[in-house]
Amino acid sequence: MEILAKAFSALWQVLAVGMLLGVGIPALFSIGMRSLEHGRVPAPAGTTNASTDGTMAGPAGKAGAIVCFGVCILAVLFGIVVIIFGKQLFS
Amino acid sequence: MSVTEALFILVVVVVTALAFDFTNGFHDTANAMATSIATGALKPKAAVALSAVLNLVGAFLSIEVALTVSNKILSIQDSSGAPIEGLMGVPILTIVFAGLVGGILWNLTTWLLGLPSSSSHALFGGLIGSAIAALGFGGVKWDGVISSILLPSLFAPLVAGLVAGVGTWIIYKLVTKIPESRRDSGYRWGQIGSASLVSLAHGTNDAQKTMGVITLSLIAYGSWTSTDSIPLWVKVSCAVAIAAGTWIGGWRVIRTLGKGLTEIHSPQGMAAETASAVIILSSSHLGMALSTTQVATGSILGSGVGKRGAEVRWSVAGRMVIAWVLTLPAAGLVGAICWFLANAIGGALGVAVVFALLVAAAAGMYFRSRRTAINPDNVNSEWEGGLAVTETAASPAEKVAASSLTERN
Repeated sequence: MEILAKAFSALWQVLAVGMLLGVGIPALFSIGMRSLEHGRVPAPAGTTNASTDGTMAGPAGKAGAIVCFGVCILAVLFGIVVIIFGKQLFS
Repeated sequence: MSVTEALFILVVVVVTALAFDFTNGFHDTANAMATSIATGALKPKAAVALSAVLNLVGAFLSIEVALTVSNKILSIQDSSGAPIEGLMGVPILTIVFAGLVGGILWNLTTWLLGLPSSSSHALFGGLIGSAIAALGFGGVKWDGVISSILLPSLFAPLVAGLVAGVGTWIIYKLVTKIPESRRDSGYRWGQIGSASLVSLAHGTNDAQKTMGVITLSLIAYGSWTSTDSIPLWVKVSCAVAIAAGTWIGGWRVIRTLGKGLTEIHSPQGMAAETASAVIILSSSHLGMALSTTQVATGSILGSGVGKRGAEVRWSVAGRMVIAWVLTLPAAGLVGAICWFLANAIGGALGVAVVFALLVAAAAGMYFRSRRTAINPDNVNSEWEGGLAVTETAASPAEKVAASSLTERN
């Protein structure tokens, strides 16, 4: 019984973190992707990062995307810190 | 027993442990890279190369000494990690050796069938079997088997599936208006980032286990005494073995995970790999380490369930569940048989005979795999009810060419 109680308490914690970060990060990334769609402007001729429809992300959309993707990159860096120092951090 | 005989046994155990580490690598490449390969985010060879490098780096990053890794489930080591008194020397070496053989053969069998299954559970299964054979049922801590293997196996696919499913559902809610070309190129980056994290975590976790096994053997033999450090050559050889295995690429398992369970698109791939990375990293620090393989499989299933209209092949998932249920008993049975055999013949000869049988079985399975070879060129072929790629399904382009030819005729 004690084993089960312990396992379920760990299970809820993993599920909570999973829902927060495992769903939150892809969602934030998606908001960034959507932000890039906001107020797209026609790309001037010769632009290398223009899309196939000849547009590129507008400045506001780009700024929003940078914030979102930036947080995602921070999350990855945090993941690396957890991989290396996890035992010291959480024990 | 002569000194040379004990040394011979030690060398065979170390070689077998590195062989296990190698199978651990190629069996688990799929966990991180199957989705990136299936969606085309990375070319198959580039994906396994990236994963290999990250496994290598990950193995060196580990600053923890996983010497007591078997302590939760077996009573063969004391709390510091040294062998318990009565087992010092050849007895514990033989137990570890037979357990490793059980783990390797289970890894190879499931690889041949293209089924993902936990390498750690295969190793533990083998060790449980050989420990029962050598010490009786008292050699196993059944509480630990339940709390660190059985319950986690039950939870891993459910938690991962739920998180990846919800993640996929939200992603598709958010991105329906984005044109497909921009959507895919964006999510490919997200996919590669999250998959890389899974690879790195895998290298740190799994290579550590083999390092622990080899260090334990060295302590048993008497050529190493420290229980809180690992010889450098052990670290280097384990890191190289797992990276080499990863680089070879377990294409059969990659194909089942990437193409067999469900058709994966980049947004699903990112949802699945992020869910895997978060759950693997959080679970190992919240008191219930979940198997990378079971988490990755659950995540991919979840990403199929979470996308409206996606087909999930539950029959393929069902075969995996059967493999997971069989992992402990099957690896355990082989581990027990190997221990009895080695012990009956005795000494270096017994270990040598079992090792020869292992090599023969491995070679047999390798040649059997050639009949339905899966490689970087056909790993992404359409799924037609099974792992094997039929001639017509060799590549979608060829298929189109063939059908237009028949139409013209």
